Amino acid sequence: MEALGRAGIFLFQSAVGVPSREGWRLWLHQMHFVGVLSLAIVLVSGLFIGMVLALQGYTILVDFGAEQALGQMVALSLLRELAPVVAALLFAGRAGSALTAEIGLMKATEQLTSMEMIGVDPLRRVVAPRLWAGFVSLPILTVGFSVVGIWGGYLVGVEWLGVFEGSYWSNMQANVAFVSDIGNGMIKSVVFALVVTWIAVFQGYDLVPTSEGISRATTRTVVYSSLAVLGLDFVLTAIMFGGL
Amino acid sequence: MIDAPFIEIEDLYFSRGDHEIFRGVNMTIPRGKVTAIMGPSGTGKTTLLKLIGGQLTPERGRILIDGEDVHRLSRKALFTLRKRMGMLFQSGALFSDLDVFENVAFPLRVHTDLPDTMVRDLVLLKLQAVGLRGARHLTPAELSGGMARRVALARAVALDPELILYDEPFVGQDPISMGVLVQLIKRLNQALQLTSVVVSHDIKETLSIADYLYLIADGQVVAHGTPQTLDTNQDPRVSQFIHGAPDGPVPFHYPAEAFYSDILGGAPMTKLG
Repeated sequence: MEALGRAGIFLFQSAVGVPSREGWRLWLHQMHFVGVLSLAIVLVSGLFIGMVLALQGYTILVDFGAEQALGQMVALSLLRELAPVVAALLFAGRAGSALTAEIGLMKATEQLTSMEMIGVDPLRRVVAPRLWAGFVSLPILTVGFSVVGIWGGYLVGVEWLGVFEGSYWSNMQANVAFVSDIGNGMIKSVVFALVVTWIAVFQGYDLVPTSEGISRATTRTVVYSSLAVLGLDFVLTAIMFGGL
Repeated sequence: MIDAPFIEIEDLYFSRGDHEIFRGVNMTIPRGKVTAIMGPSGTGKTTLLKLIGGQLTPERGRILIDGEDVHRLSRKALFTLRKRMGMLFQSGALFSDLDVFENVAFPLRVHTDLPDTMVRDLVLLKLQAVGLRGARHLTPAELSGGMARRVALARAVALDPELILYDEPFVGQDPISMGVLVQLIKRLNQALQLTSVVVSHDIKETLSIADYLYLIADGQVVAHGTPQTLDTNQDPRVSQFIHGAPDGPVPFHYPAEAFYSDILGGAPMTKLG
């Protein structure tokens, strides 16, 4: 409970405020580190998940003669669930753990303390750009995940298994609603971005500055983020699609 | 003899967990002088610097820097006050993602709007003073511990602060750079009219540059005075430290139960076989 309070104050102090020109530069740098460098793993995973969805979906749908609905099935699974959740889990493993370890090591080597003594607030200089980079990049990565996943589904469903191309796309177009499917998926992704980045950065800032402390905090980042993402996904799905 | 104090420490209490580190410490640190705070390892000398810098908050008592109560300032005012201080960390604490030049330039870039050419000149001047102008393109990982400390010193004085806090500046320096560093601290202090606080247990070097000394042990100031008065001080705790006797009133051992009973009567012996 006390840790949650500290984490809340920490989030407020670092995330709220108007960035300076230098702040934008640091943010861009972190966008590269957190966002661009996560692109490969997220897109490749998206491709495979789209392909697997199409393969599994086809074998079930074909029994009912409903393989024309493959496009709609792939798109809805990705947009509503798999893209936000899997991208967030990958993001926690790839970028979250790196953020924790980096900030933790800066703390252990007194870099944060020396920055404070120079009169620069590490919350604004070190933490804020990383937080905002995480907030912004995960939703973008999620979009990339969905797009590549749908293309992967097309490769397997249409090119390989021979589903009619027109029905793959037109069924998808007819049955995917912009607000309730794409919009809700994006809301999930924004929530996950906040939670995962917050956990990662706070774990780094708050850890015990020893090698053991850093290793534990990095583990905690991945475990807490994953549990939080899966738990919140259930809650959000219940609210959005469960009629709560 | 102490005129216009720059730092006043009044009735300071601080503990970590159950371990009491300071029990009513009082100090006045004069302006424009080198004041040394000495004491055996583990007496909380670094903690004291962190209290002065406002990174730790005391349980009782207060610390005034130039009349301002450090622990009653807002976060913003504290950061403004810190622009007037430099601190040399024991490890150097250089930013590992910046090279030597950018480390020294860091305070100038964040706190001033000086043009790049002037930043360059200032940084090279500071690096020249610590003898590392040629090392400007190295990264902190490529520096030895002693070099890192000298770069950190150049960074600490980059903004020409009024106060510099030195945390164990002499540890791990080779004899040559030790001599350079001693001279540097003294020269900086005279040339820039700085107030310096040196935390150290290197007696010879510290005595050679300090104008005034505080000796702390057991959470309290046990003696203070000029190097000459401390040298002739009869208090056994003082003379033990100043003359480097291994054991005396200040014990060499961390508190523990009696040696023999600990060794012989400790954990029950396990049966063999």
